Amino acid sequence: MSNQKKRNFQIEAFKHRVVVDPKYAEKTWKILEHAIHEIYNHNASGLSFEELYRNAYNMVLHKFGEKLYSGLVSTMTLHLKEISKSIEAAQGGSFLEELNRKWNDHNKALQMIRDILMYMDRTYIPSTHKTPVHELGLNLWRDNIVRSNKIQTRLLNTLLELVHRERTGEVINRGLMRNIIKMLMDLGPSVYQEDFEKPFLEVSAEFYKVESQKFIECCDCGEYLKKAERRLNEEMERVTHYLDAKSEAKITNVVEKEMIANHMPRLVHMDNSGLVNMLLDDKYEDLGRMYNLFRRVPSGLLTIREVMTSHLRETGKQLVTDPERLKDPVEFVQRLLDEKDKYDNIISSAFNNDKTFQNALNSSFEYFINLNPRSPEFISLFVDDKLRKGLKGVSEEDVETILDKVMMLFRYLQEKDVFEKYYKQHLAKRLLSGKTVSDDAERSLIVKLKTECGYQFTSKLEGMFTDMKTSQDTMHGFYASHPELGDSRTLVVQVLTTGSWPTQPSVTCNLPAEMSALCEKFRSYYLGTHTGRRLSWQTNMGSADIKATFGKGQKHELNVSTYQMCVLMLFNNADRLSYREIEQATEIPASDLKRCLQSLACVRGKNVLRKEPMSKDIGEDDAFFVNDKFTSKFYKVKIGTVVAQKESEPEKQETRQRVEEDRKPQIEAAIVRIMKSRRVLDHNNIIAEVTKQLQSRFLANPTEIKKRIESLIERDFLERDNVDRKLYRYLA
Amino acid sequence: MGIQKDRIKFNVGGRIFETTATTLANAGRNSFFGAFFDENWDLNSQFFSNSNESFFIDRNADCFSILLDLLRTGDLNIPPNIPERLLYREASFYGLLDHVRSAKWGPFDGNRLRLDQSVTGQAPGDGTAIRAGPDGGCCVAHGSMVHVYDWMLEEHPPINLDYQRVNDIGWVDSDNVVISVCERLGSRDGGMGLFNASTGELRFKFQVSHENQVKSYTAGALSFSSDYKIFSSCKGRSNEYGVGVWDQVTGKQIDFFYESPGWSLGDADKLQWLNGSNCLLVATLFPRKDNCYISLLDFREKNMVWSWSDIGAPLTVDEKRVRDAIAMEESNSICVVNEYEDLGFIDLRISGGSVRWSSRSRLMKGNMPEEPCYPKLALHEGQLFSSMNDSISVFCGPDWVLTSRLRRSYGGSICDFSIGGDRLFALHSEENVFDIWECPPSPII
Repeated sequence: MSNQKKRNFQIEAFKHRVVVDPKYAEKTWKILEHAIHEIYNHNASGLSFEELYRNAYNMVLHKFGEKLYSGLVSTMTLHLKEISKSIEAAQGGSFLEELNRKWNDHNKALQMIRDILMYMDRTYIPSTHKTPVHELGLNLWRDNIVRSNKIQTRLLNTLLELVHRERTGEVINRGLMRNIIKMLMDLGPSVYQEDFEKPFLEVSAEFYKVESQKFIECCDCGEYLKKAERRLNEEMERVTHYLDAKSEAKITNVVEKEMIANHMPRLVHMDNSGLVNMLLDDKYEDLGRMYNLFRRVPSGLLTIREVMTSHLRETGKQLVTDPERLKDPVEFVQRLLDEKDKYDNIISSAFNNDKTFQNALNSSFEYFINLNPRSPEFISLFVDDKLRKGLKGVSEEDVETILDKVMMLFRYLQEKDVFEKYYKQHLAKRLLSGKTVSDDAERSLIVKLKTECGYQFTSKLEGMFTDMKTSQDTMHGFYASHPELGDSRTLVVQVLTTGSWPTQPSVTCNLPAEMSALCEKFRSYYLGTHTGRRLSWQTNMGSADIKATFGKGQKHELNVSTYQMCVLMLFNNADRLSYREIEQATEIPASDLKRCLQSLACVRGKNVLRKEPMSKDIGEDDAFFVNDKFTSKFYKVKIGTVVAQKESEPEKQETRQRVEEDRKPQIEAAIVRIMKSRRVLDHNNIIAEVTKQLQSRFLANPTEIKKRIESLIERDFLERDNVDRKLYRYLA
Repeated sequence: MGIQKDRIKFNVGGRIFETTATTLANAGRNSFFGAFFDENWDLNSQFFSNSNESFFIDRNADCFSILLDLLRTGDLNIPPNIPERLLYREASFYGLLDHVRSAKWGPFDGNRLRLDQSVTGQAPGDGTAIRAGPDGGCCVAHGSMVHVYDWMLEEHPPINLDYQRVNDIGWVDSDNVVISVCERLGSRDGGMGLFNASTGELRFKFQVSHENQVKSYTAGALSFSSDYKIFSSCKGRSNEYGVGVWDQVTGKQIDFFYESPGWSLGDADKLQWLNGSNCLLVATLFPRKDNCYISLLDFREKNMVWSWSDIGAPLTVDEKRVRDAIAMEESNSICVVNEYEDLGFIDLRISGGSVRWSSRSRLMKGNMPEEPCYPKLALHEGQLFSSMNDSISVFCGPDWVLTSRLRRSYGGSICDFSIGGDRLFALHSEENVFDIWECPPSPII
């Protein structure tokens, strides 16, 4: 005091640094502190922003930044403690609402405080590495409110309780929930994760563990999956409504693990409703759901695929090995096609056209189709049936689909050359008997085979078509050069190129005199127009239409095979003929003749001959008469030949042998091709390469390949290495 | 009504200004005016309801008018009677410093540079190095001291590391500088330190350790890579010789390229990190060594992928010796300069090639200044800069045509220069002065 008085009277040299009023800082701070109070009390309208800003600026300018900052911290803390009390006091449901309201207040206040203290925020805080005002406000809120003793657990429990209530079907205030969760996220990802997300996931895992156990005890598989799907969708919806988007993967993981991954085997194998039952009953919806849910968990799809594959192989194996089923080849193939269609549908409508499932389906079919060695024959028979009669009145597109499906089965075959063999036989029969329904369909199938297996595979088949076409022209030319024969074409000849057609034992029978005269005319015409050719007759493959008059004058036109014609023509000159007489006169091979007579005499409704004694089988001592009492309501009568459509056992053996025989040159050619390019190769590699080269046609047998190698060595195409006996060398 | 709704009147230190809220919105939310207009403050209603009311601000009116113009036009025009420091202070009050800085000078172009001002310091002796900071400031090393200036050329507390002689300095970011100094024999002093540019406090000291033992060392030339590494040439007394690598974030030593003492790496004059090839250029030049060595180090495989030296090259009459080198990744070459400011080029694609000296030689023999400075090179956005005596030449184009020359009459030879923050700083060896060159803002039309 005295000092100050003294100064009033004494003029001192100006040697001190000018200091502002020592109380200046205190006074200024009081103004600012008051303003902060007013802001928190919603009473800011009377405050002058410019004055407050200037005061805060001046405090920093005059080096009172530290005071300003610590004052801010303590004032804000004080307010937050009060806020914390009022939130604690909120009862029951109003707890979250109060928290939310206060949070909004705090945010607004924080913004205004930061406006006033902007200069400090820009200059003092960075240079002293302190926490910026906004972040400071959030941190204080976190420490004084969200993580205070009396709020932290209550907040967490309230939030978890609300989620639980929503899961059990109650409606909760999602808006409020979203605001509170948003607050936790604003306070930093670690606050959201530690104070909410982690416990939330734990509680959810427990919840779904219990619930899935309950469901699996009382629901069937389809129902269970429906519930799991709904829960999953609910959780995803919850995330979009009020959780952090990053939580979605975490919570769906929990549901997937608890509801699906932990129960996968039990669901798949559930009695009466598991995967196999769904497949059997074509439950697309359930299958689709299972696919979509299982896809989310590791090895989920693998589980489905394995069960499907083993089921498919099991049923497929039954299908192809069941002796009952083998009786009707068309039915057999139709069943395969139906099975394929069924699974194609399942995969496309329920399994999202998943490639891995398609592969599993294909490999399963390949597995069981080849279990039955007769599959190639049956498939060819199926085609034969379709092309003979099955395609009448079917539109072109439908024909294509059927053919495409057949090609699908064809692809599964390992012995494609066997199929080729049969197909050739069947095609020959179709062409020669004129039974083929649609030329277009025939050609279309050949084009498909060509794209699948290459030119070599189909060149002979195409040759057969060419022969048919050429024969027509030839016949035309023949009748044009023999006008004396008139318009009625008594003889129609098809000239078949040897080699293109299935080889047939060339057994000629004695034709009736009328016919052989005509045949001789044709022979001289043909050889006259084509020099250097040989023509031999395949009487076993022809057919004839003959007119017959029976006892009471009934007239009929009989459609018969060439053999049958020869037999019937004999009766023009005799009433009774014994088997031996017929055999002698016609020279038809015994087995064919028996079959031929059987069809003429033993088939009800078509028995134009009568046999003594009456029996089903033809004996060598039987005698035959014209059946005068033959009647039929049709004028035209088609006498079929009793033929086994399927091959008989010896025929089968024969075909098989022929196939094996045909394979030998192919294997040899492959070996030579490979050795020519490699020069030296060891045994195992040759086997592998040959198998690979030939697999589009058949599965080469290693022992057979070995035999072929031996044979090639004998013929000096290859030699064994002197040192390493496993090595072969190519001898050019 | 005819009266614009957003018209607003200010009374600044007694002078009335009238403007619009739209103009003031250019200041951005994070400024005095941004906060002022925020609805929290509920002032709009008071104002716009009564358009005759003016709002009082207790600040300098002259500066307010300059800043208001800045907000209106984006142009900064400081009348000669207003000290820049005063304007900066006012801009800082309103939170408009960033506006002022970005309006003060234009984008960098070596051919448009104008001398902004010269700053004279108190440090004795020759300058060692000058380095431009990323936002327009710089730091200058003299002897054992480093003086730091911000973009307003306000000087901040000077920096030293144990008062040891400074070899190089560099900016890690706009807040931090690294300085490398000599070691003091028999102590742990010296090496490399990271400092806060505005307060001058030491924040971190980089260490070299060998077999888990911390070694003392002399740090030489510095370079920084974009993946947050610091490189420095190092000379320790027990085998720590070569180039050290540290992580900028953790400060830990993460690598060391050892070489036998007495070779060239640890004495390097210049390090340059090459982003494209992931290599470090190390140049050790005459007269620090009797010969010049330039090499590229690949730290991933710890080998020298390219090297060049003038050992064995025939000394010509005019004795062209490489005094500085800089790698130019675009043209796969290294540009070098000799004491006559001849530019030369070495092909980076051939190891062991020779220097192809540019024929456009500017022979200055005979009129050398009394205290010559060795030439320095810098490359900035396709322009090549070379300092020689008291001037800096600018070269452009694929053939490096001389396009501009920066020269000022006093201060003597330029011993170092640096480009950064759209400014060029040139440090003169006499008078302890450095010049700031910058481009004027874009033309009005």
